[in-house]
Amino acid sequence: MGAAFAIRNAEARQVPADYSIEISPHSFEAAPRRTIKTTAYNSQVPGPLLRLKEGKPITIDVTNRTRIPEVLHWHGLFLPPELDGAMEEGTPMIPPDARVRYTFTPRPSGFRWYHTHTFAGRDLSKGQYSGQHGFLYIEPRENPGRYDQEFFLALHDWNGHFLGSEDGSMEPSYDISTINGRVLGFGDPLRVKTGQRVLLHIVNSSATDVHWVAMAGHQFQVIALDGNALPRSTPVPMLRLAPAERVSALVEMNNPGRWILGEVRKHIQAAGMGIVVEYADQSGKPQWQQPAGLSWAYSGFAALGTAPARDPAVVEIPLVFKSKFEGHGNLDRWTINGKSFPDTDTIALHRGQRYRLLLKNDSDDDHPVHLHRHIFELRRISNQETHGVFKDTVLVDAHTQTDVEFTADDPGMTLFHCHQQAHMDKGFMLLFRYA
Amino acid sequence: MRLLLAVAGLLGATSLFAQGNYEIQVYGAETVAPGDLMVEVHSNFTDIGQKHLIDGIYPTNHQEHETLELTQGINNWFEVGFYIFTSEQDGHGTQWVGDHIRPRIRVPDSWHWPVGVSLSTEIGYQRPVYSLDTWTWELRPIIDKTMGRWYFAVNPALERTWHGPDVAQGLVFAPGAKFSFDFTKQISAGMEYYADYGRLTQIDPLHQQQQQFFLATDLNVSPKWEINVGVGLGVTASTDHFLIKCIVGRRFSWGKHSQVE
Repeated sequence: MGAAFAIRNAEARQVPADYSIEISPHSFEAAPRRTIKTTAYNSQVPGPLLRLKEGKPITIDVTNRTRIPEVLHWHGLFLPPELDGAMEEGTPMIPPDARVRYTFTPRPSGFRWYHTHTFAGRDLSKGQYSGQHGFLYIEPRENPGRYDQEFFLALHDWNGHFLGSEDGSMEPSYDISTINGRVLGFGDPLRVKTGQRVLLHIVNSSATDVHWVAMAGHQFQVIALDGNALPRSTPVPMLRLAPAERVSALVEMNNPGRWILGEVRKHIQAAGMGIVVEYADQSGKPQWQQPAGLSWAYSGFAALGTAPARDPAVVEIPLVFKSKFEGHGNLDRWTINGKSFPDTDTIALHRGQRYRLLLKNDSDDDHPVHLHRHIFELRRISNQETHGVFKDTVLVDAHTQTDVEFTADDPGMTLFHCHQQAHMDKGFMLLFRYA
Repeated sequence: MRLLLAVAGLLGATSLFAQGNYEIQVYGAETVAPGDLMVEVHSNFTDIGQKHLIDGIYPTNHQEHETLELTQGINNWFEVGFYIFTSEQDGHGTQWVGDHIRPRIRVPDSWHWPVGVSLSTEIGYQRPVYSLDTWTWELRPIIDKTMGRWYFAVNPALERTWHGPDVAQGLVFAPGAKFSFDFTKQISAGMEYYADYGRLTQIDPLHQQQQQFFLATDLNVSPKWEINVGVGLGVTASTDHFLIKCIVGRRFSWGKHSQVE
């Protein structure tokens, strides 16, 4: 890996950067007469697409034009902790009106993204609830896929407020749900042609909610999860994306018309989560075909054949997730192995050692857990062994266990947390350190 | 809503409202979800109450009241409730008392108000042997707030008799209030307050007012169930002095809802 560093203010102005990102307040119309006031990157939602080349050094200036310190996390990249974008790992915050230049060599290739990594608490306009998210694509040295056109789509929920949930505590609920910052029918359609192979890169940038999306009249050929190529590509009728998860999928444009690509659950599509897919020379009302249920399984993309037997040299690390009730008018506090961040134990890793995280979810909520600066392999979901699917975020269903394995090959403080903003804000984090 | 029973001449007072004891509940602002039906049974026993037959009205002492309440959620801001009141007492057997209907609207969540707010209105009939005021109407604003482990609700209700001796009284102020504390996720407990101050324009003397305090607990065993149990003390001469109440509610959803609904 090449040199990676961050420099601040005056030093960062001498030579123009390859990309510049300005964090600033922004208002935009998500739906007719529905203006959302938020904080965004370069006054757009989502932020600009950063298209980088694997192994080619890059400089990116980030300027904070807000009144509070910010930090920008390069989600899915292998970066040192001082650049990765999590203050818990040691990345310095960007003070108001300061500019920081990041210089690094991007890797690994694939669909990544960038977003804020700040605390929101009960302010549902801050942190990941805001518009601070953007696409980051690292082109591989050799492109394995053939496609005619590609689109980047971000699923997001807006105007959150706390409501009592079925599990007895408060949870965020949203008024508006969008794809690329627009409700269904308000933004530009995805314009395609018959016979094209279209590659969709979809990220769920929602602060808290899992989303299922389908495209009427079509199926998805999933080729990558979290930017990592899959050993097996199976056609699926819908995609499930937990917060921070990404799916890259090919769609054969073989059914001319005007179709809706949108949330499968009716009330969320009614809140706006959808976009029109329009074939050339087609008109009329966009069509939706309502699926009867929800379907998705990581194991459908796993390598065929029996999963390799457990290697006794792999060190197991049990991590048990539980909630602690703090009142019907509060969010739950979250614990890992009985402790809540910052009181969680910092776990020592040894470079080169392979680890198996036993992610045991003893709570009523599903958790999209994310490991910074590393990629892990799914090895067991509930009671089913699996292998060959590599990710940086995995949804661990309530009252189940998921095992993942990774090799400790990127020294430095490494954050592990639930990507549900309301959960990470309430202690669902811990750090790994390299011994 | 507390069903109003008109009792005259109690302890030398002129006409006044006696304790209802049919539905003893401080309302929260939440309405029943669209398409859901809430079925509640209110069981209230007056252990120490009015012991004399006054103007043909049965005494409340040792009356066991069973009230069936059915509330249908219409949309996310509107519900309609329907009540069937019954009473059981030695010498009188089990009798139907009356019925009420109660539409209620609320401020939708999407308005993001800092407190829950709803407004219910209740119209109903009760038999003369249980209340000389046979047709009554109630307007009940409801405001509530959950703060951490604390819950607060206030119901500054106004009541009016449409048919009966108290028609001339006009609006009567009958507030209720509640606070509770979440000891655990399943167990909350606190105090409930019910009162009837008499006419809005001329508050009754204290001994003619109804003032009642309940120690009550809510058991949050499941989102489908609602359980509230309490014991109440009346602290004025015009109030039944000791009551036990219990509410058991169960939420039902019509039809089969798929994951995409």
